[in-house]
Amino acid sequence: MREAPRPEPPLDPRWLEMLCQRCTDLRGGGARFEDLFLEQRLEMRAVDSGAELHVEECRLEGAAARWRSPSRVILHARTGLSARAVGELLDRHADRVALPPAHPALVAEMDPPRGWLDWAREVTSRLRPAPSVVRYLSRRAALVRAGSWVSISTPPLVRVEQSGSNPAALLAVWGHPELGSWLQSLVDPLPGKRWEPRPGTQLPVLFSNGTAGVLMHELVGHMAESDLVAAEASPLADLIGANITAASIEITDDPTRFDLAGAFDLDDEGIPAEPIAVVSGGRFERFLCDRAGAQTLRTEPGRGRRALWSRPPVARLSNLVLTPGSTSPEDLESDIDHGFVVTRLGRATVDPVSSRTVLQVERGWEVRHGRRRRPLAPCELTGGVVEILANIDPRVGSDPTPDWRLGWCVKDGVPLPTGSEAPSILANRLEVL
Amino acid sequence: MKGVVGFAERLNEAARAAQTELENSPADRWEIFAKASTTREVEVTPGQPSGVIHVEETGVAVRTWRNGLAGFATASGLGTLASRQAVEGAFSTESPLARDPLPPPRLLGCSEIEAVRNLPPKGWATHAGGELAHSIASRGGGRLDLRRVIIQEGAFAWVLATAEDRVARHDDTSTALLAEVEVSGDRAGVWRDWLHIADPEAFDVDAAAAQICDRAMLTRSRVATDSGLRDLILHPEVSAQLLAAISGLFLVTGEDDDAFSSLLGPEGRLAAPALTLVDDRLDMDAPITGPCDGEGLPARRTLLLDEGIPRHRLGSYRDANRCSETPRGGALRLSYRDYPQTGIANLRVVTGAGVAAGKLLGLADRALYLLRPLAPVAFEPSTDTYRIIASGVWLDGHAVRGWHPVVELRGSLGRLLRRIEAVGTDLRWFQTDSGFIGAPSLLVRRQPVVG
Repeated sequence: MREAPRPEPPLDPRWLEMLCQRCTDLRGGGARFEDLFLEQRLEMRAVDSGAELHVEECRLEGAAARWRSPSRVILHARTGLSARAVGELLDRHADRVALPPAHPALVAEMDPPRGWLDWAREVTSRLRPAPSVVRYLSRRAALVRAGSWVSISTPPLVRVEQSGSNPAALLAVWGHPELGSWLQSLVDPLPGKRWEPRPGTQLPVLFSNGTAGVLMHELVGHMAESDLVAAEASPLADLIGANITAASIEITDDPTRFDLAGAFDLDDEGIPAEPIAVVSGGRFERFLCDRAGAQTLRTEPGRGRRALWSRPPVARLSNLVLTPGSTSPEDLESDIDHGFVVTRLGRATVDPVSSRTVLQVERGWEVRHGRRRRPLAPCELTGGVVEILANIDPRVGSDPTPDWRLGWCVKDGVPLPTGSEAPSILANRLEVL
Repeated sequence: MKGVVGFAERLNEAARAAQTELENSPADRWEIFAKASTTREVEVTPGQPSGVIHVEETGVAVRTWRNGLAGFATASGLGTLASRQAVEGAFSTESPLARDPLPPPRLLGCSEIEAVRNLPPKGWATHAGGELAHSIASRGGGRLDLRRVIIQEGAFAWVLATAEDRVARHDDTSTALLAEVEVSGDRAGVWRDWLHIADPEAFDVDAAAAQICDRAMLTRSRVATDSGLRDLILHPEVSAQLLAAISGLFLVTGEDDDAFSSLLGPEGRLAAPALTLVDDRLDMDAPITGPCDGEGLPARRTLLLDEGIPRHRLGSYRDANRCSETPRGGALRLSYRDYPQTGIANLRVVTGAGVAAGKLLGLADRALYLLRPLAPVAFEPSTDTYRIIASGVWLDGHAVRGWHPVVELRGSLGRLLRRIEAVGTDLRWFQTDSGFIGAPSLLVRRQPVVG
């Protein structure tokens, strides 16, 4: 599925045009006007306690203006998108903002799609008796710069969180054709007796069922983000042009994949979305930058993303996609003498300082002589970023699979939707924590 | 009002507008919550332009109840449009519930709290950030680099009104600081400290710098590892993560009401007599205070663990009802966007009988001093097991024997808690995934250190 999202009606184009004219040459307090971001959000929640369900609706709108001087970067943000609200916002820093008395034309309210609530009811009833929350999330946004403005589209999303003794989650584009099967995977019962591997054990690990996308999200995606690179907090900072992994590995950050949760048509700084080849032929090729990061690293921007209208844009990846190879995943598995196959990850983190990643295995198997023996108990795997990448098997699976489990990515406490799609890949050595 | 000047009247207008809509509606009972907040965040990074973020956020939330149907909706803004959207949204989300989720009027009320806090004067954040950077540089002696300091100042006001003419109001401020320092050389590692500043006027920059630097500087000793049964001293940050991991035991959620059963020792004891825990919503030195909880029940100090023995649990009115417990004002509403939920506000260790942190270190022989958690503390109630992964130093009396970069501890949580021999008086507040936790150093006897 690569269709455009259900378009939300844009904010009043004439109003945006007028704003962009007024914002030309705007200055104040020695600072230059950078941009004005306007956003509306709708979040619907179906909250199930395990016994009964209630529904919540949350409508948000706000705007943020950024200003830059040699010594300071300033963001003023406030609730509201009315003419008065935006005028007050710009007045906080500008010497003069002569907004005409015209008001933006009302646009249709954002509403959840028909059938969403019935779908949410069905989902929560399948997850019972575990408590759960089903969310529908949509937004429309626009960015005004001096002399230009753009509307920004992102796909509407659904997020399912199950709490209780077996917490699990799902994030996907609303209406994705695979949503039903992912939900089935979410409710599949845990295997009975599970094997707990001994800490310190080092074994090869086959990442299957899309989990390789999560692995590369941590190892390559975050480590390529310009803020970490500029702060010398990424082990990949000095490795542009270097061979960091097997020559068969191709990794692209692709916001144009509207079937994945991290999609957008323009980033939140107004740069048109384009796929970026981060790793090509095993070589590390590009950083992922917001405008400020691109200036520092002298490369192209396009990944400035905002968690909410009140937060500044920061460099964040979108959808990390690994190009499939020609090896069947069964062949990869059958070649493992003793190791693990991971089928679902529950959490993944990377510590930029120690350059180590920790992957929480939710589901998986012990493999001996190419056969699945015992289901894994939840455990954690760890390894160094550079070492894991250097020890990826050159054979790449032929089974590209989107990950539905871990798209809700939190960095510095700020959450954003992201996506990934990957075939099975084999890491030759990870350590059980 | 100290920080959100001019919002009081707009909050009242928003509440009145929603009230008018609701009085002309078929709702039997309703509740309006309107909130305004302003925050200012200053980030000082050496050699970089400073970053300043000013955010003003306002919104209205409405809960309704009629004929067995409950609704909840929120809308941003304080104008009549926001109020109307919230009311209409509440009706459009109506769904059947077995019981009215709104607390009855007899339970509502306000507690008296001390005078509210003031925001620091303009320019304080930039000045304090610069002073702190200077103090850290001189303490570090060239071996510590300040990566960045973020100072957050916030002011907020809210009003809560019900169909029965109950009205609660509150306005307050909060100030906090986040500092990141990096140890230079081969012991590289970022140490992050978050400090709640209850009174900016009394903020001691040098004491804060000492807090931030001293732990990091301990890693300058040679690397040493050990294992076996050892005494432990938990730095307040490690204590806080441990308490965060077990904090769910003190919440009425209806998910696992029998969580205590596998954990209690003889005499129904969860922890040693040295440990007493409260959720204190009246303490003006704590991060979250107010006259009432998120639903309008009077704020109180709830005794959760009394000298090691569980006493009460926190719950929203609905959760408490569902589990047949007495509602004690345990609802939390951090934003107008969220439904009031069961949660801890300020969970803290009572340190009245505590000993000074320096003396605590001297009480242990050949102990492991856990300085910072490297992962969230894991805790499995059904099997009474915990796991702590942390970085620490080995002590011989008061002397540091060596630094243990990554050490793991596993064992019985009940045994860990029941071997807490002493609590320190060095209580600090921490922001955790479970809420604000006020924790001191803890001395725990003979725990298994994996290595």
